[in-house]
Amino acid sequence: MGANRQSLHAEPLVRHPQHAEEAWQMKRLWGATASYTAGGTLLRTQWESGLAPVPAYLIDLSGIAELHGIHDEADGNWRIGPMTTLTSCRSHLGLQTAHPLLTEAVRNIAAPSVRNLATLGGNIVSAVGDALPALLACNSVLQWRTEQGITDQALTEWLEAEQLQSAWKERLLVGIQLPRQTSISQTKRILAYHKVGRREAFTPSVVTVAINGQLGDDGIWRDIRIAAGGGQTRPRRLEHTEALLMENPSNSPSLAVVYQSLLAEFKPKGDSFASADYRRRTAANLIVSELWKAAKRLTEER
Amino acid sequence: MSLDQYAAPAVHLMVNGQDMTIDVAPSKRLLAILREELGLTGPKRSCEIGRCGACIVLVDGAPINACLAMAYQCAGKHITTVEGVAQEGEGELDPVQRAFLEEGGFQCGYCTPGMVITVKALLSHTPDPNEDEIEEALSGNICRCTGYGGIKRAIKQAVKWRNGY
Repeated sequence: MGANRQSLHAEPLVRHPQHAEEAWQMKRLWGATASYTAGGTLLRTQWESGLAPVPAYLIDLSGIAELHGIHDEADGNWRIGPMTTLTSCRSHLGLQTAHPLLTEAVRNIAAPSVRNLATLGGNIVSAVGDALPALLACNSVLQWRTEQGITDQALTEWLEAEQLQSAWKERLLVGIQLPRQTSISQTKRILAYHKVGRREAFTPSVVTVAINGQLGDDGIWRDIRIAAGGGQTRPRRLEHTEALLMENPSNSPSLAVVYQSLLAEFKPKGDSFASADYRRRTAANLIVSELWKAAKRLTEER
Repeated sequence: MSLDQYAAPAVHLMVNGQDMTIDVAPSKRLLAILREELGLTGPKRSCEIGRCGACIVLVDGAPINACLAMAYQCAGKHITTVEGVAQEGEGELDPVQRAFLEEGGFQCGYCTPGMVITVKALLSHTPDPNEDEIEEALSGNICRCTGYGGIKRAIKQAVKWRNGY
């Protein structure tokens, strides 16, 4: 489970470390000729389509117990092992209650037969997985085995810097932490996740957006995180728009300004099927419609 | 660190109730093992990237795309293909197979093995699925002939038979 550059090799040798430390040592030893493998669903499709060469070594992480499982920790944080399948995330009742954004995002990824193999860690290290906007909106932290031991890193930071850090290619993702959601008094939590694709189900995303906020009784957002991605766009937080929202009452006039802010801030990649402009407008429409719905509900409840 | 100690041994599988040890490359796809090594041609080769569902089999009871799963990922596990769905020796189709037959749940039939496996898995954990649950379960199985009407009727009929009403 690391982003890997691989050299061409027809039949990779598969190694089965039992501990994260062993896996990391193997990757250090073999470098770019080896690839960590989790569910292997993305790697397999990349090999089949010629987007990535088959590596000489596969470092199979499935036998490493410490990389599995979903844990509700004493401090209220949730820790998910990167080898946890998307199916396990989707069906975990505690996670559904504590972090419904994530379980909803996972429900929208591929189909059950793929989710039974694919892992949350694999979705993350792809850097374009559809779980990422939800994880960003939950302020998630990644835990890596690095040269310096176990290191925590905000998901936001990793997504922004990973492409520029060749030394990070050998890191091993060992945990995903979802911090406890703190509640602000006299606010209502607003959650939304949308994935737009070119067909109804089991579709590659064109746009994904996630919102996690607390809307005050006075119509002012006290806390909000908005993330957007989709397709080959690395998801990212839209922090300028978040700041704008927390400065302004949530009403219609300000939503027009928010819409323009979203158009300016989100910079998706286009492709032959959907242009960058289409994706930008779709994301802005989705986000603003959720903000409008939240404001409308608040007005109706007053 | 001696790396040879980590090499995978020959792959041990239980396929449709039969124990077997197969000497294949650990990265070989399960679909190729089933079709080429074992002659089980029920799982179909089609998209080969996990999109169409024609190759779906049960691995320890869970539907998995055999075109994505590699041999080492199936080691020690129970594999059920469409050939192993009906109870051995009884000479009868599984209710899910029979429902597909009687309700016109297929036309060309290429997707049907994957469909049958998916429905078997669905009914094993959700005996009386609603429309949303059926659609989610089938989201990884593509049929280009039926328009899904016959498939949905087949599922509803299989539910009735399975639940005795």
